[in-house]
Amino acid sequence: MRSAFYFIGAILLIVVALALGLQVGTFEVDLPTIWNAFFHHDPDNTTHYAITNLRLPRLLLALVVGASLAFCGYLMQAMVNNGLADPYLLGTASGASLGAVIVFFGFIEVSIGGFYMPPVFALVGAFVVTLVVVVLGYRKRQLIPAQLLLAGIAISSLVTAIVGLLTFLSDSEGKLKSVIFWSMGSFERASWTLLPYPATALLLALLLFAFLQKQLNILLLGADRAQALGVNVAQTRWAILGTVSVVTGFAVATSGPIGFVGLIIPHVTRGLMGATGKSNLLFCAFVGGLFMLLCDLLSRILYPPAGLPIGIITSFFGVPFFVYLLSQKNYKFSS
Amino acid sequence: MAFLLLICWACGSGQKESEGEELVLQDDLGREIRLKRQPERVMAFASSMTEMLFAVCDTASIVGRSPQCDYPDAVYSKPVVNNYPVDLEQVLALKPDLIFTVEGITPLDMAARLEELGIPVYYQKYRSVEDILKGIEDIGRIMGREQQANYLTDSLRQEVQTIERRYSKQAQRQRVLAITWSDPIYVYGQNTILTDQLRILGAQNAVQEVFDQPYPALTREYILKMNPDVLLGGSIERLEREFFSLYPELRKIAAYQNKRIYQPTGNLIERPSPRVVESIRELESFLYP
Repeated sequence: MRSAFYFIGAILLIVVALALGLQVGTFEVDLPTIWNAFFHHDPDNTTHYAITNLRLPRLLLALVVGASLAFCGYLMQAMVNNGLADPYLLGTASGASLGAVIVFFGFIEVSIGGFYMPPVFALVGAFVVTLVVVVLGYRKRQLIPAQLLLAGIAISSLVTAIVGLLTFLSDSEGKLKSVIFWSMGSFERASWTLLPYPATALLLALLLFAFLQKQLNILLLGADRAQALGVNVAQTRWAILGTVSVVTGFAVATSGPIGFVGLIIPHVTRGLMGATGKSNLLFCAFVGGLFMLLCDLLSRILYPPAGLPIGIITSFFGVPFFVYLLSQKNYKFSS
Repeated sequence: MAFLLLICWACGSGQKESEGEELVLQDDLGREIRLKRQPERVMAFASSMTEMLFAVCDTASIVGRSPQCDYPDAVYSKPVVNNYPVDLEQVLALKPDLIFTVEGITPLDMAARLEELGIPVYYQKYRSVEDILKGIEDIGRIMGREQQANYLTDSLRQEVQTIERRYSKQAQRQRVLAITWSDPIYVYGQNTILTDQLRILGAQNAVQEVFDQPYPALTREYILKMNPDVLLGGSIERLEREFFSLYPELRKIAAYQNKRIYQPTGNLIERPSPRVVESIRELESFLYP
């Protein structure tokens, strides 16, 4: 009953955040204008165009990316059985940054065949680096979480150093701005063309883990006990790894590596729903999406028109809440 | 004696007072600079000021250049000095009496470090075309080449006035958006010389809001609302590839619809140099083709 209440609350808040988000921007609009933009759309009206083609895809991208990162954070924390894990432990963020930076610094054409290359190469970078980390974390036909974590940290550091070197050697202030802007995350590139990629990845992942939530909860007891209780631990871990790589890869490629969401929202979820709630994953995705929507809204209200980089907002507002949550006596990572 | 006279006469912008044999200057940031004698070996950390030095000074007195300096051709005969981070050893080796720089190019703590090493740093800042001309005159005074500087600025001022008169009665002022970078979108804001150049040409900067930064970041929605008549930042082909492919929504703006997209010469529009009139003429060719 309590979880149903939280679900309904999260959905209502998402609707409210979307309605508020549609009103914030350069064009001053009221609710009737928003209504008309959707239901009596005038193609020659620039305000209508901005609402449907700029604001809405931006808000939906924020929702999807927030949900993706929170969802993947939850999966990673369950897999390594550690509350410090986040979706970037596999090197996805650093790999994506390297891919994007390679394009920004001119090693690859910015646009090939009409496609804007930074997100494409970010996705490639994310996958390549994740693959290297997974290979290093794999020994004797087994995926070893501790080794995976160490490999992730080591490879991420190396890739980050390469990004740092390229940035240091950059000959252009503009290129530096691109890299800085990228590294702190933004939804300004959102469009109806871009949105389906991370959204499809997330929906498929949610569908897959609708069937695996039980195994995930048992995994929190530890690999040996989970195995004894009939969970195919190796298979579940591969499912988590594959999902986290793809979903995080798409999220980071479209919006940059936005920090803290993947770390804190799973803790918020467990704080509200309990450590082994049946619908934790779905709820975690909803809360992640809601949190990101609110952060995007704040970023645009606090620093118009461009908005503050979203990573700054997620840290500013996420970390104090996280500290508060950890200080609560009844909060537990696992059952 | 001649030097003392020079000090007494030079009490305009840039030069404050003389104390004995010492020359005391005040730069555009209000900083006090003390020189033991009139500078004979100078260099600039900003390419615009290197152009000013070449336009006004004896070229033998210019002892180095920054990696960005590419005009005039004679600049290539000078040794390159890294300006960010500053190669202190190279600067010391060249022994300049004074280094010229522009606000924002050289951090103040670096200027303080150079001054500890006995090399004063002189800052200029520009907000208008007239500021650039005053900057040239300023350098002329400091370097004892006032006549050359004034001859140059008189001629430039006259040309600016002629152009300004030509477009002073424009009924419809074209709104021009100049982008400096596409991801994220950075543009020339109100606090840039471009705004003044456009005013001289009877046009206006499409960015009317005054931001803290001279080159603010803008969103697609903001640009859509401005709906600029002219877009500067690259050729149509290049912007189609690198800008409109990323932001297809901006194909709705008037500048795109009417194919009024132009590529200004980078080292002209970006530099507050003695070639400012050349830059205005180039803009004129875009606005009134």
